[in-house]
Amino acid sequence: MANIENERPRAADTDIMGNAMSMLVRIAQAIALPVAAVLVALICGGILLSLNGFNGWDVFSVMIVGVLQDTRSIAEILLKSIPLILIGVGLCVAFRCSIWNIGAEGQLYAGAVAATIVGVAFEGLTPWIYVPLVMVAGALAGAAWAGIAGLLKVYFRASEIVTTIMLNYIALIGTSYLVTGPLRDAASAYPQSARLLKEAWMPRILPPTRLHIGILVAVALAIAFYVFLFRSSAGYAVRVVGINANAARYAGINVGRNIMIAICISGGMAGLAGAFEVAGVTRRLYQNISPGYGFEGIAVALLANNNPIGAIFSGGLFAILRSGSELMQITAQVPQVLVSVIQGMVILSVVAFGVYRFRSASRSQ
Amino acid sequence: MKFSRRTCLAALAGLTMAGATGPALADDFKMGLLVPGSVAEEGWNRIAYDALLRVEKELGADISYVELHENPSAFENAFRNYASQGYDVVLGHGFQFQDAALTVAADFPDTTFLISSSHVFDGNVIGLNTDSSEPFYLMGVIAAMTGKSAGLVGGLEIPPIKQSFEGFINGARSVDPNFPISQVYVGSFTDSTAAKEAAVGMIARGANIVVPNANAAGLGVVQAAREAGPDVQTFSVYSDYTEAAPENTLGVYVADYGQGIVRIVSQIKDGSFEAAGNIVFGLKDTDVMMFSYNDHSARSVPDDVRRKVEEVKNGIIAGEIATRAD
Amino acid sequence: MEDVATLGFIATTIGATWRLATPLIFAAIGEVFSERAGVLNIGLEGVMLVGAFVGFATMFAYGSLPLGLASAVAAGAVVGLLFAFFTITIKADQIVVGAAINLLGMGLTAFLFRTYFVGTGRGVEIAQPLDIPGLSDLPFFGEAFFRHNAIVYSTLLVVVLAVVVLYKTSFGLTLRAVGEHPKAVDVVGRSVAAYRYGAVMIGTGLAGLGGAFLTLGHSNQFVENITSGRGFIALAVVVFARWSPVGAFFVAMLFGLFYALQLQLQAQPALNIPYQALQALPYVMTIVALVMVRNKGDTPKMLGVPYTKA
Repeated sequence: MANIENERPRAADTDIMGNAMSMLVRIAQAIALPVAAVLVALICGGILLSLNGFNGWDVFSVMIVGVLQDTRSIAEILLKSIPLILIGVGLCVAFRCSIWNIGAEGQLYAGAVAATIVGVAFEGLTPWIYVPLVMVAGALAGAAWAGIAGLLKVYFRASEIVTTIMLNYIALIGTSYLVTGPLRDAASAYPQSARLLKEAWMPRILPPTRLHIGILVAVALAIAFYVFLFRSSAGYAVRVVGINANAARYAGINVGRNIMIAICISGGMAGLAGAFEVAGVTRRLYQNISPGYGFEGIAVALLANNNPIGAIFSGGLFAILRSGSELMQITAQVPQVLVSVIQGMVILSVVAFGVYRFRSASRSQ
Repeated sequence: MKFSRRTCLAALAGLTMAGATGPALADDFKMGLLVPGSVAEEGWNRIAYDALLRVEKELGADISYVELHENPSAFENAFRNYASQGYDVVLGHGFQFQDAALTVAADFPDTTFLISSSHVFDGNVIGLNTDSSEPFYLMGVIAAMTGKSAGLVGGLEIPPIKQSFEGFINGARSVDPNFPISQVYVGSFTDSTAAKEAAVGMIARGANIVVPNANAAGLGVVQAAREAGPDVQTFSVYSDYTEAAPENTLGVYVADYGQGIVRIVSQIKDGSFEAAGNIVFGLKDTDVMMFSYNDHSARSVPDDVRRKVEEVKNGIIAGEIATRAD
Repeated sequence: MEDVATLGFIATTIGATWRLATPLIFAAIGEVFSERAGVLNIGLEGVMLVGAFVGFATMFAYGSLPLGLASAVAAGAVVGLLFAFFTITIKADQIVVGAAINLLGMGLTAFLFRTYFVGTGRGVEIAQPLDIPGLSDLPFFGEAFFRHNAIVYSTLLVVVLAVVVLYKTSFGLTLRAVGEHPKAVDVVGRSVAAYRYGAVMIGTGLAGLGGAFLTLGHSNQFVENITSGRGFIALAVVVFARWSPVGAFFVAMLFGLFYALQLQLQAQPALNIPYQALQALPYVMTIVALVMVRNKGDTPKMLGVPYTKA
């Protein structure tokens, strides 16, 4: 149970050379299979385009190569990957605990609202305090919003799948109320908040691009939560609860507390993503600030096999696909919705190639 | 799971030789469009797309558009994409594009940024406002003169929609201060089912004129009118979809945004464009904003009402009637 | 405000309730089959979109309503076959595959709609309300109960059929056993996988029908993302209804009621509540209701767990 990472069957030889070889094979598999899966998804996308009168080759030449052409487009991809990585990493923790948090979208909005409230409030604060303050506000709000679902699960055994979906809708509707009402920019007729104070903006790290410190924070947190999950006893407890809550209870682990930890981490990460979106990108709160990052984050985590380090890469891949689909529409007038098809195909191909076996293996009877 | 980088490298190695799509020649006149939703749907996004197609046809421009689905974080990048590719004009179709355009505009002085439904006027960023409160005012007059009560079904509570409803209400109240009007926002531009039920409810409570302003979801309202029979009427707004309910459509308000855009873009193209402020299209721009009647309606608007509407229309054009506050 | 309490208001609200509940009833009862057999399909939203689109496209091309509905059910079942192949044969995680189905359903329907239907502008002829002699014209009851189309009424049939199949047939007994004690089913020589395939495809077929109601029984047009989250609501309905088809019917109705009420109440000019508060009502009430009913532990034991023959 301790060694969840290595469940793939392997030769039981004790020979060191053999071990090294099997390790190499495993690493090769771990890389080759997802690459093959992504290629298959792209080929399917290309075929779909060709069948419908577009140039199928565009999937490769525009979608993948086109977006990597210069510093700015790469910076934009990294920028897009920030919320995906953060949400993906948070969900890795929740999913490892078998908490099906479908509510990252709502938690992102909660974080964005809190970051906005804080970000317009304190004039004259130094960025050294203000920037972290905005980040903490977003993360706390996201954690609190997810915490509602956690409490309902722990105390009322209410399914978090249902409650987090409901909380998504409530957060979106609440945001709509706030930007048309109390938080609306007094100087404008539009449903948007006032602009966040300059001192609250996320510092940019690669001017003149928009890339901000969020990418560093996201990567650092991914590593931190990898360590938490796989190298700390607290993370071990979270995983044990995820594998078998009853056994965990029998072993003296406080199941409710671990559920709360896992769901609040995932909510906090989504809330932080929301804070980065308003303080790093849009600088105002709008009715719609997320094109569904919260839902895409689910796929990011799952594609990474619920491994926070892997989520850095799967988040990056999804950001490339999203940027690429925008570019495809601009250059080849391919409907942008193609991105959903390709993302869906990526997941299915990964599954078909047997890369994603962890949960199945741990839970089959 | 280090596949994304590997994939990219493999794709780069294998495909750079195939070549990405080449950029268009630098001296072509180019126009780009950013829309916040799908150009496939009736209504707001479609009018911008139609405008773009007209610019292509009538001015021979190279065109391109991108749908950003209410995703403000992508706006700035999209503007920059177009501007850095040498686009001469970029139209952001909605007030929410304003901030992003202002941020980008300074870096691209040779590009003109047009923003729909906005009052901005700042260097090369120019707001274009289609004041829908004016035609909706006319619809309100017609509703109050020919109907018992009216219902308005909106998508989200955003300024273009709020203003149009304000115009409708002011128009109706100018005829009958007690004319009953109810409003519902369905909270979505895609949920035609909810929009239809909202209209069905209004009709059940006596409304015999229901008017949508909810893009694709608005078709649900038209469907509700159609099912309710000839007594219940609606208007086709922004684009002409009379065909969806020919007997239940009193009139058609078409915003030929294309005409307005073509006018301005052609001035930009030949260098004669000089803006003194943001641009507002209203009923005075008879080539842009058209209101017409549907004679196939089961309750076709009678001539005396049409005469009155014509008077009101002239009053609005002359600036004697304010269709909304501010 | 004054007419909130009138019979007319109540009749309209009840009528709207049933119509708004109809797609949820189909999808939720379908999901009851699936989950009773131990398969959690969160891809309902995508399946419903496929049903809505295929139903619409078929109707558009051939002009036959029965054919449109049948093809929507068939399309739903085909998506279900795909889902079942991945989750039952390959034994991939059900949530993962469900998420992929949602993305695919959303993307494919929008892509194809864009490519083939944009600018057609025309809708299709939808199912007409039935005129039931003597009943449709009744005051109050006519509006509330007897002026719907056949698809709405068929929700009653589906509930009855679902109860009979699940509880009165050996197929249903085995199907439920598959969700509780798959080993026992295996031991007596029946194929767990076959039953799960069947349950999933019944579920997605019904979800496809629920989607088709939106385009063929309510609006007459396909709109991208026309389901607007109804697939997710249906998932909530199933849990709330404790995996019972009759429960699913009533919970879906309750949801329809909240939805109808918010649309009706918003239209009351005298009611001075932010309309967003009304919009949030259905979702808040779901959470409140979940807390009130508590979880009695009747979740299918093997929900979400693939079965591997020993």
